[in-house]
Amino acid sequence: MTPQNKGTTTEPYRPYGADIKETRPYSPCRAACPAHTDVQAYVGLIAQGKYTEAFEVITAPNPIASVCSMICHHPCEQACRRCGIDEPLSVRHLKRFAIEKSQEYRRAKRRLVQKTRGKSVGIIGSGPSGLTAARDLADFGYSVTIYERHPVLGGMLASAIPPYRLPRNMLKEDIDDVISRGIEVKTGCEIGRDVKLEDLAKKHDAVLIAIGLSQSRSIPIPGVEGPGVLLAIPFLEDVAFDRKPSLGKKVLVIGGGNVAMDVARTARRLGVKDVSMVCLESAEEMPAWKWEVDEAVEEGIAINHRWGPKAVRREGEKVLGLEVKKVKSVFDASGRFNPAYDESNTTLLEADTIIITIGQMSNISFMKDSAVKVDERGRVQWNPETQMSSAPGIFLSGEVVTGPGSAIAAVANGHRAALAMHLHCQGETIEGRLPAAQEKEKIEQMPAEVVEKVARESRVKIKHLAPEVRCDTMVHFEIGYDETEALKEAGRCRGCGGGAVVNPNKCMACLTCQRICPYGAPVVTSVSEIRPEYCQACGLCAPECPGQAISMVSYDVREFRDRMPSLIGAVDPGRKEPHIAAFICTHHVGVFGFKVPSNVHAIPVHCTSRIDVLDILKAVECGADGVAIVRCGEGTCKYRGIMHRVSARAKRVQELMSALGMGPERIEVLSATGGDSASYEAVCAAFSARVKEMGLRKASIR
Amino acid sequence: MIMGSQKPIDEIWAMVKDFNRVLVFGCNTCVAVCHAGGEKEAETIASLVRMRAQQEGRTMEVKHLGVMRHCEPEYFEPVMDEVKKYDLILSTACGVGVNFLSDRTGTIPVFPGINTSFFGSVEAPGFFKELCAGCGNCIVHLTGGLCPIARCSKTLMNGPCGGTNKGKCEVSNEIDCIWYLIVERMKKLGTLEKLSEIQPPRNWATSRDGGPRRISLEHLREYEEKEEKAQATGGKKQ
Repeated sequence: MTPQNKGTTTEPYRPYGADIKETRPYSPCRAACPAHTDVQAYVGLIAQGKYTEAFEVITAPNPIASVCSMICHHPCEQACRRCGIDEPLSVRHLKRFAIEKSQEYRRAKRRLVQKTRGKSVGIIGSGPSGLTAARDLADFGYSVTIYERHPVLGGMLASAIPPYRLPRNMLKEDIDDVISRGIEVKTGCEIGRDVKLEDLAKKHDAVLIAIGLSQSRSIPIPGVEGPGVLLAIPFLEDVAFDRKPSLGKKVLVIGGGNVAMDVARTARRLGVKDVSMVCLESAEEMPAWKWEVDEAVEEGIAINHRWGPKAVRREGEKVLGLEVKKVKSVFDASGRFNPAYDESNTTLLEADTIIITIGQMSNISFMKDSAVKVDERGRVQWNPETQMSSAPGIFLSGEVVTGPGSAIAAVANGHRAALAMHLHCQGETIEGRLPAAQEKEKIEQMPAEVVEKVARESRVKIKHLAPEVRCDTMVHFEIGYDETEALKEAGRCRGCGGGAVVNPNKCMACLTCQRICPYGAPVVTSVSEIRPEYCQACGLCAPECPGQAISMVSYDVREFRDRMPSLIGAVDPGRKEPHIAAFICTHHVGVFGFKVPSNVHAIPVHCTSRIDVLDILKAVECGADGVAIVRCGEGTCKYRGIMHRVSARAKRVQELMSALGMGPERIEVLSATGGDSASYEAVCAAFSARVKEMGLRKASIR
Repeated sequence: MIMGSQKPIDEIWAMVKDFNRVLVFGCNTCVAVCHAGGEKEAETIASLVRMRAQQEGRTMEVKHLGVMRHCEPEYFEPVMDEVKKYDLILSTACGVGVNFLSDRTGTIPVFPGINTSFFGSVEAPGFFKELCAGCGNCIVHLTGGLCPIARCSKTLMNGPCGGTNKGKCEVSNEIDCIWYLIVERMKKLGTLEKLSEIQPPRNWATSRDGGPRRISLEHLREYEEKEEKAQATGGKKQ
């Protein structure tokens, strides 16, 4: 299924419950994402097999979603409430899966956007922030031109992130999505060299400087000048643009951050067997992500901790190694970065090539003598309230002003800048109109008594190319999920923020929800309030609410009832086989991971807890000869207390069927024990045979 | 709370079969709490009626609706225009609601979808029990707070009778002998000796005698605006 708006309207796809979610605390994953991607929504859509809808949710706030699916540091995972249970959801890989599944869809939906505003904007730099602003401003109806000094778009994504982490075809898909809106692109165009900033300011109604941090910092130590000592960014650019950098046999990387990891691991892939690193910090203090460090170590890269560079030792021009001094402490008493050394404790780390990766800065030379003021320390002056520089109409976004951060943080800042530019172009006030930078209110951690009740399910591990294989290639080293794996992993999501809500105008405080919730989420006072930090979004309560006051944020409790005729299809009066409706739990086999006989009309549900008496009756009303509720199997349910309730609901329908003179045996709860496709097929086929035995229903005869 | 239970579909069908547009109208207070006649159960009954109509080859429009209470006009007034589009209203409110609605629907009949059963408690989830008979003359201060009128099969005022059997009633083993419970309770309260006073025959005048019962609270009743004007002008006599 594809979103209904495909190709017919520019109205963006909104997942079910998007509006109500804005009025409630965010799921921790969403709150943690700088762009506030609705992770819970898209993971839920993946679990339902709605991959293109998931793609829409992923890309709505994030124009570089393919890139993020490869390189994002995924703060969503660190915030995942499953961390307190077993392991976080594998969000980044699920994102990658949904995007890969939507490749045809995304290409087909690329459209020119009408330039309705009659105004133009110029964007300097095409990294995450620049691309984001370009997309937003094109969507607002502006004529957008991107100026990029490199021959290709993408900024550091194209010029510095090594291909083994970010395959360039993924980046290209994101860029094509953005520029297909009708954005003009001027690559190989360096501001200050090819065109002056003030000329751009005159040409456009607003200009955005989103140039990132494209220059490496060096270290002022003896011997640093000369051959054999390289800077990170030029090195990575050489690799990105296939200008083979010359390395020796023994490479030493100075630095302990993520770029240092990129540099070391890239050097390893260029055929250097002996790559080591040296950094000021201990293993615990290192700023690089732990998984990057682990992967580097797997690749045979040694890390020398707590040594600071003192001098590059040379014999003539030839580099012999780096003389280092012992670090006593990295941070001072107030926690500031302020390394202290033991100058008497030194050693020589042998190397013939040294790559310095200690930080980056922006190249702001083109702002000299322009209206954009730069302070005495070389920082561009800007107003964070308006994203504007000291020059009216010239805006700033991304790392040039925020300092080093993640790609997704630059995306978030790019949105902010685009909105500021839009307001400026419309002659409106910007102050107070941009989204506040503070953290969104989020759902609290899961209480211990709930954690105890949640079934443990380990994360579906992603496969990597073996270290000995991946070190010989720039090929991306992670092997993405296949469909079965992705559906299984998506099923682990606890649906934070997608759970039950009460309409206080319909609640009569009957206590039913409070009594049946296995997690203790509802608390009834004058009306019921379902506490989101407890709710597991199982949906067990909604069908039992006698006033129909409970709805679910993330799915429509009436979906099956209202769509039943199309879900089970028209009943053929001349049929030979019974027309069976089967509500099938997809938790363990995935949405399309089962096969059922052709006369069985499967209605995939995330859990049979959601099936109401009314849903079963509706299937009978629509002409089904039999209705099966197929559970995922004994003891495998991701929720608690489901079997008893679901069986009781089925029994009630059986009694009502008897009262109508129809065989109660036409309704059954089945368990697909075994959890594989064959077990679903077998239980459905056996049920179908039993119904056939009973005879087929005729509309006018009982 | 007022408890009820759904009528069998055969009985409902006999009531509704000759109508073309039927509204099953739920009440979201007492009868919703006992899962007999709230909006959800109204929808369930509507589904059953549609299926029966299909079985009988009848074309019938059957819809459902629910409001918070059927026994106060303000709650259903906003939906009365919708309600009046139907030929028949099958109310799943208690008898109070059915009556109350019948007084207000002109020529549209209102039939009961549930049997109003008793005043009861939610003893445990899904289990409801009669505890009061609404007799109009409460005497439970004499019986340890437990009502023999509602809970004794014979409504005895001086029990137990000879049918008491190990704490159960001779009518059924599933019924507690309330007089047994009264004795036990009054032992605990230290007031057992009060039971030696013989209660005279009850005056049933407050129960079903003298026609439908009413309660009027003057301070809450509507009043004519002219009275207020009289006060505002200093209470001058006109």
